[in-house]
Amino acid sequence: VKYFDDVQVGDVMRFGRYEVTREEIVEYARQFDPQPFHLDEEAAKASMFGGLIASGWHTGAMFIRMVVEHMTPVHATSGAMGFDDLKWLRPVRAGDVLSVESEIREKIESRSRPDRGTVKIESRIVNQRGEVVMSLVSLVIYLRR
Amino acid sequence: VKYWEDFTVGEVIELGSCAITETEILAFARKYDPQPFHTDPEAARRSIFGGLIASGWHTCALLMRLSVETSRREDAAATGSPGLDSCRSRSKPIGFIRRRNDLANQHGEVVVSVVGITMYQRRPAAAA
Repeated sequence: VKYFDDVQVGDVMRFGRYEVTREEIVEYARQFDPQPFHLDEEAAKASMFGGLIASGWHTGAMFIRMVVEHMTPVHATSGAMGFDDLKWLRPVRAGDVLSVESEIREKIESRSRPDRGTVKIESRIVNQRGEVVMSLVSLVIYLRR
Repeated sequence: VKYWEDFTVGEVIELGSCAITETEILAFARKYDPQPFHTDPEAARRSIFGGLIASGWHTCALLMRLSVETSRREDAAATGSPGLDSCRSRSKPIGFIRRRNDLANQHGEVVVSVVGITMYQRRPAAAA
């Protein structure tokens, strides 16, 4: 398991594989983001996106699923404080296969809690063509050795 | 229809409220964020959170739904988003206030003006 002390600025991790389906795009959108271009193929065709696309928050949910499956089990993290600079760069469509590239950007020791620190991690969610569809800088809480 | 031109800087828009149930917290977390403090009430009690908490991504999704419902109510011409500047979990009993402090002289002239962020403690639940 990697603690705060073990991760180094510049470390890059690549992980995850998430197949995006039409059913899941629509199911998520019905619950959380019921805009026509997330719900209905016909309405989406007439929109500026030219077809059905996943809610950006759904892409975020798929991202955290890959993080929890592949990174959390081997990193001593304790949740996150949030994130900065989230960008939805390209649409995510049914049939896309997503994966994650994460890079350690900065380590910040806690002044008040000597048992932990914050690590800024820049993540890029990439599709099967290598195009970045979403990026963000997470503020992840790591425990110290 | 409410277009870009119809919004004014400083305008405050109420998004309304929504309730969240344990069943919903568990269902979202099992699908997208299966960490013990989101999926297992017993394990959550023993965690640093002291009980089951919703995934932050679930909370953001609910905020999105309130935004979409409000847009629809106002007939706003919203058409997607390129991203977000920042997002922070605010589970700590601290609130932030951004305020401008003007220092004036005896003639009532502002001689210096600063904009800063101050952290305040929240009212304890027992004293609410």
